[in-house]
Amino acid sequence: MIRVENLIYRYETGSPDCLRGVTLDIAEGVHTALIGPNGSGKTTLIKHLNALLFPDAGTVCVDGMMSTDTSSIREIRRRVGMVFQNPESQIVGMTVEEDVAFGPENLALSSAEIRRRVDACLAMVGMTGFEKRAPHTLSGGEKRLLSIAGVVAMDPRYIVFDEPTAYLDPAAKQRVLAIIRRLNREGMAIIHIAHDMGDVAEADRVVVIDRGQVLLTGTPAEVFGEAERLTAIGLNALPERDGR
Amino acid sequence: MIRLGQYLPGDTIVHRLDPRLKILSVVALSLLIFAATLSEIALISVFLAVVAGAARMTPGQAVGALRPVAFFIAMIFLVHLFFTEGRPLLSFAPLPVEITREGLLRGIYVTWQFVGLILAAAVLTLTTSPSELVGGIERLLRPLSKIGIPSQDLAVMIAMALRFMPMILEEYDRLRMAQMARGADFTTGSLALRTRAVAALAVPLLLSAFRRADELAVAMEARGYRRGPRTTLRELVFSGHDLGAFAVIGILILATTVLRMTAS
Repeated sequence: MIRVENLIYRYETGSPDCLRGVTLDIAEGVHTALIGPNGSGKTTLIKHLNALLFPDAGTVCVDGMMSTDTSSIREIRRRVGMVFQNPESQIVGMTVEEDVAFGPENLALSSAEIRRRVDACLAMVGMTGFEKRAPHTLSGGEKRLLSIAGVVAMDPRYIVFDEPTAYLDPAAKQRVLAIIRRLNREGMAIIHIAHDMGDVAEADRVVVIDRGQVLLTGTPAEVFGEAERLTAIGLNALPERDGR
Repeated sequence: MIRLGQYLPGDTIVHRLDPRLKILSVVALSLLIFAATLSEIALISVFLAVVAGAARMTPGQAVGALRPVAFFIAMIFLVHLFFTEGRPLLSFAPLPVEITREGLLRGIYVTWQFVGLILAAAVLTLTTSPSELVGGIERLLRPLSKIGIPSQDLAVMIAMALRFMPMILEEYDRLRMAQMARGADFTTGSLALRTRAVAALAVPLLLSAFRRADELAVAMEARGYRRGPRTTLRELVFSGHDLGAFAVIGILILATTVLRMTAS
């Protein structure tokens, strides 16, 4: 369980608050969609979930560990994987397999275990055979899949996806969504920042963020039922299909 | 695309050697070459030729490795050729230069030294992938971490720099295209104009490099990168092959030493 309580955060002292008292529970195994207009604080919020940012007030607690407790940071980051918006700038390795190995290496696992995870994760995203390729030779979709494999290799309980289907063609998009579904079926909690309401409809739970606060939470049906409130903050309540 | 050296994947004995051994061997060979006499250089050259052959290095690759430094080597040769005192072979009176026998020998000797150095390094980069090189350097520097030199951070820094190079080149292309699409001209006009057009790319390129570095740092942290215990996908194991190669290098060092002692 990730428990966010009354989280307040501002980027610089004196600037307006970016998050203004967010309270949110994320249970294990649940697929949560996070939606909200640009600049509403979604990305800032998720960076708190694995101790990349720390609250100015309020708390973030992952499976009983406070994110502000420095001795827990490593474990929190292992449990909460983070797939960022731009795959380009999260690929660390000089080859595909080295990139997937980066996380497990940081966990100080044995070489044999790292090898096993690298092979399993590359197979999971359908990139077996790409092991020795240099990242800059991959297509946008392949880079996205690689960034997912690199996070899954850490064997997290929760994975946060920040607009995982941005800039992808429809086929690559479906591939990524299928992987997310599969990870969720295997018991991983998914926190998914989405713009496409079609993606949101698949979630168990939808959280709407607006101006640094939780505006609405509920099942997709419940949230889409509040069409007026969604339109008021500039979100389209109707699920859109591919090729919008 | 920019690459470190010109690594060519392969499966020769030289490819399979432990990168630590290869790095140390190149260091040892460089020292030997610097201190060597003409006859010792001949011996080392034979050794290098054998190793290069075993690594399936083609003459074309050897020339390719030398090309970037060809001008430098030529200068060194000419300076020694013209400015060494000794028995004149050819003089250009009234110019104050002349070619001497000693100058010619000295020029050949120094040129040979440099070619040997470059080729030794070329064999290393040709047969060792950048990641193996970085891993090898990290392992070799590891003892230094006891006196506070962060060998792991150094290795990660080198790896990041190599990772960044193609990324920045791509970004450069993107920015150039974007500016061309808005009417910038990089190909015509005076040199000053073109220089200014390219300079206009430098600022956005730098900004984007910093932004990317920032994002990359966050992504690394998110994947658990911190100071502290860390393992690697590929453990370096010193195998029988390596032991053999180690012995060969040892014999070479011994042989040059013996050559020197018998000569004096």
